[in-house]
Amino acid sequence: MRETRLWSVHLLVIPIIVVLLGAHFAVMHYAPVFYGVSIEEARNFETMIERGRSVAQLVLYILLLAAALYHGLYGLRGILRELTLTPGLGKIVDTSIILLGLFIFALGAYVTWWTFSFKIGG
Amino acid sequence: MNSNKPTAYNNRLGVKGWVYAGRYTFERYLYLGHRLSGLGLIAYMVLHIVETANRMRGEEAWAALMTLFASPLFRVIEYLLFAAAVFHAMNGVRLLLTELGFFLGKPREPVYPYSSSIKRHRPLTYIIMALAGLIIILGGSSLFFP
Ligand code: HEM
Repeated sequence: MRETRLWSVHLLVIPIIVVLLGAHFAVMHYAPVFYGVSIEEARNFETMIERGRSVAQLVLYILLLAAALYHGLYGLRGILRELTLTPGLGKIVDTSIILLGLFIFALGAYVTWWTFSFKIGG
Repeated sequence: MNSNKPTAYNNRLGVKGWVYAGRYTFERYLYLGHRLSGLGLIAYMVLHIVETANRMRGEEAWAALMTLFASPLFRVIEYLLFAAAVFHAMNGVRLLLTELGFFLGKPREPVYPYSSSIKRHRPLTYIIMALAGLIIILGGSSLFFP
């Protein structure tokens, strides 16, 4: 049951990733096509801070961070677990992946918050 | 390790089990591509979060990093990332449809000559992969020839 639930979440977060990752690519990698802005401009410090001050961006970025990290790390766990590990090794893999996920989530969320609350000019 | 155990019944193939298959059909290659692109994406994502945290070191540190990423080598890496994401997403949609039971045809009596659900699904697989290829080419052309 627990495994079914974990796997279901792996699939359920996919629509969130498709929409938000698509938007992220459009803004950061294809700005000239979708917004008529050069890539340099889209990635400029000030533009980034300006964009990051929106509450929608704060919430959506943290949502994308959580969804993509969960989906990707659960996938990695599955690949490692296919090695038919001993229960002890399986626990080590699970714990390491959870710790990595929590660390990257905390860092990403903190940086997003930092951008959101950045005060231009000091 | 019990050496008397016939290898055919030994499911502990180890790392070989990640790639080994008795039959390498089109879907098997897609599976390998899906796995490689998935691993590439999660590895990139972890590095990406660490790398973009550099903004907290100030505007100059950020600008230096962006200059590095504007170099031709990083442009190519960025394109490979895009291609991996498009392939993984499109093949992922195919997997979701399959796992939810769509486009597999109605269950039939297994009468010779057999028609497997994978074969019935294959036209859709080709269409989805052709679309993925098209998006990857279009994405490349607008990245390199803006
Ligand atoms: C863009 C939309 C995406 C879609 C539609 C998608 C879809 C899928 C699907 C359907 C699976 C197989 C699930 C299963 O049958 O158990 C999967 C596996 C996986 N995905 Fe994604 N995914 C997407 C994005 C991502 C991203 C952004 C990452 C990394 C951060 C990622 C990493 C992985 C990994 C590592 C696996 C496991 C591969 C394996 O077991 O061979 N995916 N994905």
